[in-house]
Amino acid sequence: MRTSGWFRKNGVASLLLPNVLALAGCYTGVNGERSTAGQDAGESADDGVDDGVDDGADDDAGDDGPVGLCGDAEVGLTDLRRLTATQYDNTIRDLLGIEGNPAADFSADERVGPFKSNVAAPIGDLQAEQYMAAAEALGYDAVTDLPALLPCDPAAGEDACAEQFIAEFAPKAYRRPITATEAAALLEVYNEGKAEADFANGIRLVVQGVLQSPFFLYHVEFGTGDGADGSIVTLTEHELASRLSYFLWDTMPDDELFSAADAGELSTEAGMIEQVDRMLADPRAREAVASFHLQWLGVDEVQGVEKSPEFYPNFTPELALAMREETAAFANAVVLDGDGTLATLLTADYTFTEDPSLLAMYGATLPADHVAGDPVPLPAGQRAGLLTQASVMTKHAHANQTSPVHRGMVVRQNLLCQILAPPPPDVDNVPPSPDPEATTRERFEQHRADPSCSACHNLIDGFGFGFEHYDGTGAWRDMDGVNPVDATGWIVGTDFDGDFDGAVALAQNMAGSELVAQCVARQWFRFAFGRAESSDDECTTDALDTAFAESGQDVKALIRQLVLSDSFRFRRATPVGAESVPGEGEVR
Amino acid sequence: MSNRHRVRGTAPRKPFNPGFSRRAFLGSTAAGAMLTPFVPLLEPEARGGGVQPFPTRIIFLFSANGTLHERWVPTGGQTDFTLSQILAPLEPYKDKLVILDGMRVIRQGLGDGHQMGMACMWTGNQLLAGPFQGGDGGTAGYSGGISVDQHIANTVGVETAYKSLEFGVMTGGANNWTRMCYAGPDQPVAPEDNPQAMFDRLFADLDVDPAGMEKLKAERRSVIDLVKGDLTTLTNKYGGNDKLKIEAHLDAIRAIEMRNEAAVPVCEQPVLNLGFDPYANDNFPETSSRQIDQLVMALACDLTRVASLQWSASVSGVRFSWLGQTTGHHDLSHLGDSDPTMLDQITAVNIWYAEQVKYLLDQLAAIPEGDGTLLDHTLVVWGNELSRGNSHGNHPVPFVLAGGANGLIEMGRYLDYGDTPHNRMLVSLCHYMGLSEQQSFGDNDPASGGLDGLI
Repeated sequence: MRTSGWFRKNGVASLLLPNVLALAGCYTGVNGERSTAGQDAGESADDGVDDGVDDGADDDAGDDGPVGLCGDAEVGLTDLRRLTATQYDNTIRDLLGIEGNPAADFSADERVGPFKSNVAAPIGDLQAEQYMAAAEALGYDAVTDLPALLPCDPAAGEDACAEQFIAEFAPKAYRRPITATEAAALLEVYNEGKAEADFANGIRLVVQGVLQSPFFLYHVEFGTGDGADGSIVTLTEHELASRLSYFLWDTMPDDELFSAADAGELSTEAGMIEQVDRMLADPRAREAVASFHLQWLGVDEVQGVEKSPEFYPNFTPELALAMREETAAFANAVVLDGDGTLATLLTADYTFTEDPSLLAMYGATLPADHVAGDPVPLPAGQRAGLLTQASVMTKHAHANQTSPVHRGMVVRQNLLCQILAPPPPDVDNVPPSPDPEATTRERFEQHRADPSCSACHNLIDGFGFGFEHYDGTGAWRDMDGVNPVDATGWIVGTDFDGDFDGAVALAQNMAGSELVAQCVARQWFRFAFGRAESSDDECTTDALDTAFAESGQDVKALIRQLVLSDSFRFRRATPVGAESVPGEGEVR
Repeated sequence: MSNRHRVRGTAPRKPFNPGFSRRAFLGSTAAGAMLTPFVPLLEPEARGGGVQPFPTRIIFLFSANGTLHERWVPTGGQTDFTLSQILAPLEPYKDKLVILDGMRVIRQGLGDGHQMGMACMWTGNQLLAGPFQGGDGGTAGYSGGISVDQHIANTVGVETAYKSLEFGVMTGGANNWTRMCYAGPDQPVAPEDNPQAMFDRLFADLDVDPAGMEKLKAERRSVIDLVKGDLTTLTNKYGGNDKLKIEAHLDAIRAIEMRNEAAVPVCEQPVLNLGFDPYANDNFPETSSRQIDQLVMALACDLTRVASLQWSASVSGVRFSWLGQTTGHHDLSHLGDSDPTMLDQITAVNIWYAEQVKYLLDQLAAIPEGDGTLLDHTLVVWGNELSRGNSHGNHPVPFVLAGGANGLIEMGRYLDYGDTPHNRMLVSLCHYMGLSEQQSFGDNDPASGGLDGLI
């Protein structure tokens, strides 16, 4: 079933939407949402466990729990998440100085919507062994350069140096201060390793243990209280620091962020914004901003797409990679270097690729006075922002033809956050074969003619036909076989309904849409938190919509508002003692 | 001298070198994935003295997108039947087959045909709510029940190094289209798609010298204790599904601990140097063969008695280029019944899968065990998530049993069960593996009992 395959490939999760399309039998609205019972009364006594999760920042106000931006703090259920493969690799890079791809063979990451996030399933034996194999190899690697690894010289006293190493390494790895108990346990591992062989062996075992600890592998968050009664808790400074760094850099905090957390700066708005601005200006933000846009549009794996050489002889894996990099570079240039607005992202008629094959495909050339990093103009009237980029057109097309359905779905689902049901299971939905005599529109005529198809396809094809000027690899075409391209389309169920001609016009309509803006805000929410929003996140989603609108839809304003929001600063966990109810609590 | 405060970006960057793992102990062959002809040494004497019967094994196989029943179903009677076109490759093993016709994989509740088909195939259970968009206007999550292989493994797996082993060939991401094994509700078990990674996991320790092994075990013990301590701390601080995650992680560490404390299996060291990309479409056959080789070795070495091999996933888009096909499997499967391309190519795909099953049976038959072979002591169960691709049907879903079944099942039969919930088959499989008390399996069929006349 094609669309379920599309869903499967794109991992689209059902999403809560601000608007409901009232077309029977087609639109899937909200199926129910997890809403917690009222908050429990506030101050939690220390649970007596020495686990190092109290750093003094405490926003609790009296008996009603912490106070947020809308009164009492509001946040949706925040389940435990595990590092993604990219996060693992980046964290290893920054923790140990080891480049490479140690997570290459880890089991696949889950996705929430289009965004990678390991929040649903527990791990099994296989993953535990994968972590062990990686930790063992990394341990050996790390001790080949002991001076780089250690903060001290073992010649001046091995055991003292081991203690010092543990005191500095473990807090970085666990992304929080450690307790005396934890330090002692790690020292015991060192002693056992040293007894087996030598000092280096002891250090190696410490590294191996730390890398397999749940405090390394999961984003552990308990907040300033004990969280045991299911109430909302304020996150600690270090938990905030970790959220910031994994959101903006997809890696662990750096020394400066750790220092800011130590100094209690992140619980103030000014301190938080200072870090956010510093981090956005850092090169590491480019990978995360690119990652958002690539995943959002379903093109983070476009380099693996295969095309029919008969129809697209110029398509190569190298070209596909250049397409991916183009989208990444464009997103960074607009969001981090430019005005950062949704309008520019959707309508810009320039690119930042310098790949000769891709530029040739676009029909563009580097201007004579081009300086690296300058935008490269694209042929007039042909392109508008992200949607008409080669990556998007390539991924959402077939091996041998375009796909108005896939492209229409990207607009409907990824940009409007409106989820549609897949076709009935017994439908033959293999695209009709390319026919030089008939246009795509003509070949897909059954979608409009057949009443069992038209209700939904009316919502999809109207967008998708607008992209007919871009072939299955995104190249501009004026002809579809022997016929001229007809890229007229129609829009229903939005706040910019009407007819249009061509994707450029469509993009300009979308740039002014409040629905699109709200959807973009929701997508950033999911990316930042690795979960879908619920009605308990309303304080945050309202604030995001407002901040986005008031800033002229500047993505940076969205990012800043995200880190100041209740959903960022607080956590709501399933109460200790609550039964595991598998499958429930998944936000629809 | 070290940098006490190493500034990010100026630290020496080293490339990740996995050669410092225990794999360094292994010899390597030339690239090309040649395994030494494997001579298993799992003699009864090595397993604790005395001659004991060989353990009963079970293997689960999955291929996708249904079959063409009219070209799959045998003709003839129960014991004097003729294999059809699709199963013809299994002719040499005809007297070791049981072809089950008439199986209905009941679908109710959440999910679309593919999702339910995949998740119900070995669980017989409804799906839970979850985030995977599909189905008629809703979403679905993972299975709400344990799969039969894991259920069996929970009992028989306590005797082996690995409770069970899950092999995959290009199974893809992590969702309810790509997982067929479940340790419990909402607990998918991921297969390992990379033969080299699986090899390192299973066989890397076999070649370590005894002194080295003792050191390795002691060191692992130390690390395991640390990790268990951290996980135990966390179990008391979480509730609900988060607690389940921590507990599952703790179980996994305990399984590693158990293996660490056990004696190294007595088994001849195989070799693998993969030398190709196991995630590339055109390498699908080669990857499949290497996974089958290792699955057989794992059974022969008694590393486990419950194994599965998942070819791709439901909605499989594998392009059978080595058969001259240019369209992906799923797209092909949705062409119409009157389309000769569909009939020819789907037939060819399913014949190819039957040939891989034959390859597995050949490898099992090549392992001597006592007076017989590993094949004699094994039952292979080959299933599918659909009955037919273009209808997404759930009846009759093709199930083929193969092997000697350790004498517990009369093989060489074609059994037509008309219209019977396949849950009964799952119950029978439990009985085969010694779980004689099993009455029912999966919430889709509350009735009890196995398939009449199967065992």
